[in-house]
Amino acid sequence: MIFGDPILWLLLVLVAPVAGALLAIVAGTRGSEIAARVTALVTLGGAAVLLGMQASGTWGSYLGLDSLSDLFLFLVASIFATSTWYSRRYLRSIDRPFLTPQRYYALLGAFAFAMLLTLSVTDLGLMWIGLEATTVTSALLIVLEHKPTSVEAAWRYTLIASAGLTTALFALLLLYESTGSLNAFALAAHPVTLSLPLAMAVTLALVGYGTKIGLFPMHTWLPDAHSEAPSPVSAMFSGVLLPTALYAFLRVYAVVASPVPAGLSDLVIVFGIVTALVAAFLMQRQRSYKRLLAYSSMEVMGLAIVGVGLGGIALYGALILVVAHAFAKSAAFYCAGNVLRKTGTTRIDDVRGLRTELPWTGATWVVSAIAVTGTPPFGTFVGELLILAGAIVLGAWWVVAACVVAILIAFLGMNAQIGRMVFGSERRAAPPSSEPAEPASDVLIPMINVGVALLLGIIAIPYLAPAIRSAAAVLGGGIP
Amino acid sequence: MDTTSTVEALVGLGILLTALYLQSESFVDPLVSGIALQSLLLAALLGWLAWVYDNWTFGAVAALVVGARVLLVPYILRRQIRAFRWRAREIHASHQVTGHALAAVALAIVGWFVFQQTLAPSLPAVPGIALPFVLLLEGLLMLATRRNTLVQVIGYLEEENAIVYAAALFAFGFPLFIEVVVFLDVLGVVLVAIILSIQRDVTGLPEAEILEELSG
Repeated sequence: MIFGDPILWLLLVLVAPVAGALLAIVAGTRGSEIAARVTALVTLGGAAVLLGMQASGTWGSYLGLDSLSDLFLFLVASIFATSTWYSRRYLRSIDRPFLTPQRYYALLGAFAFAMLLTLSVTDLGLMWIGLEATTVTSALLIVLEHKPTSVEAAWRYTLIASAGLTTALFALLLLYESTGSLNAFALAAHPVTLSLPLAMAVTLALVGYGTKIGLFPMHTWLPDAHSEAPSPVSAMFSGVLLPTALYAFLRVYAVVASPVPAGLSDLVIVFGIVTALVAAFLMQRQRSYKRLLAYSSMEVMGLAIVGVGLGGIALYGALILVVAHAFAKSAAFYCAGNVLRKTGTTRIDDVRGLRTELPWTGATWVVSAIAVTGTPPFGTFVGELLILAGAIVLGAWWVVAACVVAILIAFLGMNAQIGRMVFGSERRAAPPSSEPAEPASDVLIPMINVGVALLLGIIAIPYLAPAIRSAAAVLGGGIP
Repeated sequence: MDTTSTVEALVGLGILLTALYLQSESFVDPLVSGIALQSLLLAALLGWLAWVYDNWTFGAVAALVVGARVLLVPYILRRQIRAFRWRAREIHASHQVTGHALAAVALAIVGWFVFQQTLAPSLPAVPGIALPFVLLLEGLLMLATRRNTLVQVIGYLEEENAIVYAAALFAFGFPLFIEVVVFLDVLGVVLVAIILSIQRDVTGLPEAEILEELSG
């Protein structure tokens, strides 16, 4: 039966955002919006079917899927769909935007396609190309509000991310020299014993892809780009662009035969811990709530990398963390967008009393902040707990201690600041807004996303949990 | 030393010298000529390898290097210089030329030494096998130390030259299809960088107060 063939659905997932982008260019303002919304939903539908059928296999020389790619495809498609649907009112609130709605939706579709392509190819070179294409397609989206700071942020993003990815490409050359292949699926099926060039390749891949993941000290583009981009794009950056870069690194890391030698896994763990700690401490001194959210993403990606380095059950935890974080953090960025439109400022000190001015957004923001900081019963909590459990199983108490410190500091930093903005009574220097009362459509999407993060923790969603387990198994991780 | 090794060594020396020259130059126009010359040397090496090994993949990549990095991108960069005359000179480098040159030489020596001591024994015995790594470091140095946006684009191109150079020296058989798409991707990055560079001029460089928004 033709509908049971995964390639059909994969092609649908890849073609739909491109079709949406092309239609957006030729259609008018309203037409581009409708085309983008419909094709984003079609993309999500196709990705959900692939995840549901646990699609796996290779087609031709370059296309291929397994449980890991199914999971990440679903993640990208989900946040792409919610960001597209959230964009309409946000776009209308921008004075003199750099991009017309047609170009905005076209670039958003191209950005999603670049990520989806990265996740659906077997060749590490093509994965690199897809990831670099995300820079090309998303850089101009950052400039949407046409401010000097947004141009500066886009410039830094383009140069730093591209320079980092060039290092990753150098890593792929070394990997090709060591293994004679760039086929990630074939290499993972027959992992290679670690040699010096391969160790150097994985290290350079960690640095190169780590730039895009947001690992310290290559993270400097991340807070700028996340804070200056329009909120729906920030949601895609935080929720799915960083995980897509993590996916590319995972594919390189999987080339090394398990168990990964201690020196290499320790290096990965140290990068993750330092990133999580630095981000957690930097969260305390942020004056912009969007930068606060950006550093929180960096902290979460640091913890996820720790899970990757630890392997086993911690790797399973890292995937749960990444999935739950994507939904929760995108919800937080959508709420931040509502707040920005209402108050006209991103300064934490200038925002107070949201519980009366934007009650639904305020409530959803508090819940999403709690969710992204790994509070029970959210999926992020389950993920972080499993990462800690993985460290305990290995007797790596220094990892446990460092992670707990990072988690607690990040929790305090995020929730204290969001709490002040929502529950604080005094209101300083916020200009009057012409925005009408809070429309339901503005809060419905963040509510849905944070709801998914909640469900992932409470009942581990029967639909998603087995998929995440299978995805972890692809990398040799999972529940023993 | 056979003819091929001699050619590889001579071209490698030329590429290294252009890399050091790029670090010490503060005017953009000669920098554009410098990166075009470096790309031309690289294309010459690829052309030579294509002829010696009768391998059309090298020839195709050589043609791409000439088309994109010797002709197209330098042409676009020069148009930018003509449109914005004040961009013809590095903003801050004029008084730091000696420092940049010394840092570039030191980085080249350290990069060479580290690569030779660690990776080189595991790679094919080719003259100048460490040079792509050195070139990568020089490109990163240029990106990190320069303020002029066009010069930063040139630094990025130097990094990309390092990749093509490495593929030619020690990753024989790297798929042509991948190299071609990488080329297109890199071209896309350069074009986006130039659009952003123009926007930076339109919106003006951020005032200190606005830049403060991007700190922390």
